Amino acid sequence: MDFAYIQTLLPSLLSGTVNTLKIFFLTLILSLPLGLPFALGAISRVWPLRFLSKIYIWVFRGTPLMLQLFFVYYGLPILAQNWGEQWAELFRWQNTTAAIVTFTLNYAAYFAEIYRAGIQSIDRGQHEAAKTLGFSRWQTMRLIILPQTIARVIPPVSNEVITLVKDTALVTAIGVGELLKAAKDANNRDVDPTAFFLAALIYLCLTFVLTLVSQWCEQRFSRHEQPIQEG
Amino acid sequence: MVILKIEHVSKRFGNLDALRDVSLEVEQGEAVAIIGSSGSGKSTLLRCVNNLERVGSGKITIDGDVLVDTAGGVAQYPPEKEIRRICTKTGIVFQHFNLFPHLTCLENIMIAPVQVLRRSKENVRREALDLLDVVGLSSKAQSYPAQLSGGQKQRVAIARALAMHPQIMLFDEPTSALDPETTNEVIATIQKLVAQKTTMLIVTHDMRFARESATRVLFMDEGRILEENTPQQLFEHPQNPRLQAFLQSVRS
Repeated sequence: MDFAYIQTLLPSLLSGTVNTLKIFFLTLILSLPLGLPFALGAISRVWPLRFLSKIYIWVFRGTPLMLQLFFVYYGLPILAQNWGEQWAELFRWQNTTAAIVTFTLNYAAYFAEIYRAGIQSIDRGQHEAAKTLGFSRWQTMRLIILPQTIARVIPPVSNEVITLVKDTALVTAIGVGELLKAAKDANNRDVDPTAFFLAALIYLCLTFVLTLVSQWCEQRFSRHEQPIQEG
Repeated sequence: MVILKIEHVSKRFGNLDALRDVSLEVEQGEAVAIIGSSGSGKSTLLRCVNNLERVGSGKITIDGDVLVDTAGGVAQYPPEKEIRRICTKTGIVFQHFNLFPHLTCLENIMIAPVQVLRRSKENVRREALDLLDVVGLSSKAQSYPAQLSGGQKQRVAIARALAMHPQIMLFDEPTSALDPETTNEVIATIQKLVAQKTTMLIVTHDMRFARESATRVLFMDEGRILEENTPQQLFEHPQNPRLQAFLQSVRS
C-alpha cells in the first residue's frame, strides 16, 4: 500500500463523493414526497387519476434507469426542438440537473409502489373504526392510515435508499463528476486500480451509515408496537 | 322515545339473503341483545345501522334522522356528509377492538371528538380521562394498545365510542375475541352502562351475558327476527322451534 499515492487520490475522490451525496440527497428529498401523490392516485376511486398513476409507475419501473437518464439528457432537448426554441432551451439541462430530475422521477415511482402496498396492508378494521367515528376519507388517510403506514414502509424504503446510493454511479455515463468518475479517471490516468478500491470503500461507508440510520428509524417509528413491561 | 327505528330492511350478498324484511325499534334506555347462530344476519343488521354495510331496501331512522329510505324499490341514502353526521349518533364496539395502534389510549379516545366534532382539546381531554376512569383504566392513559390485554383494549374501545356521545351504542360480539377472564371485565363495563340507561344494541354469542344484561332479547335466524321477548321469557319459554333448537345446542 502506497499511502503517499492514496493521499494524492483523496482530494478528487472526496470531491466526487460530495457530488454523489448531492445527487443522492436531492433525489431523496424530492422523490420521497413525490411518491405519495402517485401512491394515492394508484388507489384513488377516480379512474383517470388511477390510470395515470399506474401508467407512470409502470413506465418508470419498467424501463432501465440508464435509458431514462440518456433520454432526459440527450433525447429531451432534441424532442423539445420540435416544439420551438424556447422549449429546447428550457429542457437543455446541465448533466447534474438532468441526473437529479431523472432519478427523482424514477425513484418516486418505486416509492409510490412501496407506499401503495403499505397503505393497502393496513387492516380493514382501521378504516371501519375511523368511518364509524365520523372521519372523512381524507381524515382517515391523514390521521389513521398514513401514520401507521410509515412504520411499515421503512424497511422497503431503506432498501431503495441504499440502492439509490449505488445507482448514483450511473450518472458517470453522462459525464457527471461524481465518485465513480473520479475513480475511473484516476485509474485511466495512473494505470493503477487503487482508486477503485478506495471508491468501493467510500460506497461501503455510505451504505453502512444508511443501514444504521434505517435501523434507528425502524425502532423510532415502531415504538408503539413494542409491549413494554408494566410497572 | 324511539332512538333507532328499522323498517322492512332487506339485504342480499350475491345469492344470499342476509336480511329479510327486518323491523325493529329500540327505545331510549333499552339494552337490546341479538342472539342467533353464525350467519343469521345479526352482525349485518348492526353494520347496516352505522353504514358499514348498505341496505338493499327498507328504512332506518336514527334519533329522528333518516339514514336510508326506499323509493321505487331502491335504497336512497343522503349525501356522504349527512350520512357521516347521522352515523356519529351511533357508536360501535367491534369484536376485534380496532383501536388505533399508533395512538395512546388517551389519544384514541380524544381523536374523534377533537378532529370530527372540533371540540376543544382541553375539554375533550378532561372527559376522556373521566371515561377511562369509568372503564377502570385511568392508569393506562399513556399506554399504547399493544401494551394492553384484550379485555383492556375492548374497554378503551368502549370509552372511545362513548366519547362521541352517541345516542345508541352498538356492540358487535364484544367478547368473542376474548378469553374467559377478560370477558368478565368487559361484561362488567357494559353492565355499568346498562345500569346508567345507555341505549344499546348488542350482538352476542354469550347467552349468560344476554340473559343478565339485556332488557330485551331478539333471536335471529336466516336473516329474520324470529322471536323477541324479555330475557327471562325468551330463555325459559322459547316459542319458536328454531330458537328451542338453538338454545339446546348452545347449552349442550
